[in-house]
Amino acid sequence: MPAGNDPFASLLWQQVPGTDGASIYPLIRKIDTISSNSYLIATPDAILLIDPGGLPEQAEHLASVIGEIRQEQDRPVFVFLTHAHIDHFAGSQEVPAFAHPETVIFAAHESGAGILGRGDGGFTQADLLGLKVSPMKIGFPLLTADRSGRPGVPVDLRLANGAGVTVTNDRIAAGGVVLPRERIVFGPGTALEILHTPGHSPDSICLRVGGLLFTGDILFAANPGVAGMRGWDQEALICSLDGVLAVMSGGGVSYLCPGHGRVIPVKDAIQVLSGVRTDALALANIAELNRDRAVQAAAFAEDCMEQVNELFTIMAGRLSYVSYVMEELGEPDAAGQMESLINSDTIDELLNAFADFAEEHHQVRQVPIHLALKAAQVIRKLERSFRKDELSRIIDPTLVRRAGRLLSDYTTMMRGFNPPGVLSECDIIALVEALVTGLSVSACSDEEVFDSADDDAAFAQILLARIGTRPLLEDVAFSMEPMQGPLMASIDRDHFTDLLTYILEDLVGTGADHITITEQRDGRNIVLTVSGTAGLLLTAAERKTFRFLRGLCNRAGGSLEYTCDKEIRQFVISIGLA
Amino acid sequence: MEITPAIRDGIIVLSISGRIDTVTAPVLEEAINREIGSGHRKVLLDFSAVSYISSGGLRVLLATAKKLKAPGDRFGICSLSAEVLKILRLAGFTSIFSIYPSEGEARAGW
Repeated sequence: MPAGNDPFASLLWQQVPGTDGASIYPLIRKIDTISSNSYLIATPDAILLIDPGGLPEQAEHLASVIGEIRQEQDRPVFVFLTHAHIDHFAGSQEVPAFAHPETVIFAAHESGAGILGRGDGGFTQADLLGLKVSPMKIGFPLLTADRSGRPGVPVDLRLANGAGVTVTNDRIAAGGVVLPRERIVFGPGTALEILHTPGHSPDSICLRVGGLLFTGDILFAANPGVAGMRGWDQEALICSLDGVLAVMSGGGVSYLCPGHGRVIPVKDAIQVLSGVRTDALALANIAELNRDRAVQAAAFAEDCMEQVNELFTIMAGRLSYVSYVMEELGEPDAAGQMESLINSDTIDELLNAFADFAEEHHQVRQVPIHLALKAAQVIRKLERSFRKDELSRIIDPTLVRRAGRLLSDYTTMMRGFNPPGVLSECDIIALVEALVTGLSVSACSDEEVFDSADDDAAFAQILLARIGTRPLLEDVAFSMEPMQGPLMASIDRDHFTDLLTYILEDLVGTGADHITITEQRDGRNIVLTVSGTAGLLLTAAERKTFRFLRGLCNRAGGSLEYTCDKEIRQFVISIGLA
Repeated sequence: MEITPAIRDGIIVLSISGRIDTVTAPVLEEAINREIGSGHRKVLLDFSAVSYISSGGLRVLLATAKKLKAPGDRFGICSLSAEVLKILRLAGFTSIFSIYPSEGEARAGW
């Protein structure tokens, strides 16, 4: 029987709800990009395998289970593909038991049959994942143009394995959309229903057996790193989601069986799919996720995680520092509260897991998209691990803001929006001066401290903020040439402010004792030079830090050059005037 | 991460190499506690071969600072890489314990 909260246990035969005598053997994997779930269904008339998965050992296991049940009762074997992505079928290409069309018939949507027949590396995502795909014969194309021209007419087919099936093609109206459908009858027992649900890919289908709806990857179709793959179509996806939602709400479906991850009761599935629909609606005009973009995403992932690592360690360190000081001041309760604002252990574990993954990635030259997706997974969890608003009231809010923006930039980029920056005209001189002032004075003035003295709660809050925030430029000799403003430039304000803060922080953090900012106008450009005396020499991280800052500067609307010698480190930012 | 202890001029110097992360921070804490437990009240951590410190590592440093604040106690870190110094400075830790450019300068100051 199923364990825990999972309605169906993996690797056990169970009854299919809503059928008379059909049973299911689910093979449910943790979610990854390597292989899908597989579902093996035995009816008195046929053995149906939905998605053999991406791994040969998975397909091998399924072949052996099929062998066992054929010994009990021989029946024709069909392999249905929810879509022609390589993680759903590649394992079967290396297992001889699946290589004989006279015994095993593969079925896929007609367009998927074409993709597989020519071994298309783009649509199967083999190119993106750095894999090879061999051409594959689909003996039973589904939802064919030929049959859709004769709606409602049962068509008898004799397939290469000798099996006879009856297929009836029609359309169903569901949720304001029309979904092409085929009903396949293998004999007197349970029938199979196929719905065309493109969007994740042009050939995506859902399959229904009794109370189970097998949905392929529609649940993940709006995810960062999935949306935008070759063949992805926002408009088609939204229509398909509307149709699938209506089918699930219409009664008769008890569980959604996704291509990856656990089986979901229909009530929860409706909620999840509605969320996917909301996400999908926001994905107009996204860039295609191809190998070039995966390479860019992987580089951004590493640079981004390097900075995320630093920011989170500093934020957690600041909180530990505040906690330490509060304890020294005899305020153990306030000290204890600090720990709840940021889940340091979880964050450390996540960052460690990414570092290990990245190291292994470089050692075995894995494919870029895996690193990019791992970063996306870690970032999703990091976003839930710190309480931004409360943290901003205690520690330097620019740290919290930058951490939040970095996580959000990465997710936005993975969603296919590139670059995630919004340029607008603003007075760059006023912006630089305001930023520098903010980094030079304490977050709470002495006056505010005195004013709060009569109110215990206000005083405690101000005390925490006073301890938790330290003006970055407090202990360095800082000078800025007087600049003549206003000077209107076209920039993304948030990213520009972040850029300048990162640069100043880098100089202060590595031991510069004197920092200057100068300004020059060069034709239609303003050139800001931030220089600091060289403290300790940075090592391997310097190259990545510069690559990250250069990317950030591009998102801010400018360009960045960097020079370093034994005495001076210099960042030169060029921005076009409006 | 590797920890090599040495006693010089009555100071226990723990030379650490590698990453101080979620896995290794407890090992460091245990090593420091062992030295404090055996009566060493002047503890210097040589970070010249430390490439990374996590928030768990920072907490170990704070916990050590708490244990070594009696009159005559000393706790400090020397020879930090730029990356680790940056974390300690920006987290505000440099006001809690002393940071030295080298072991010699730390010992001279103690």
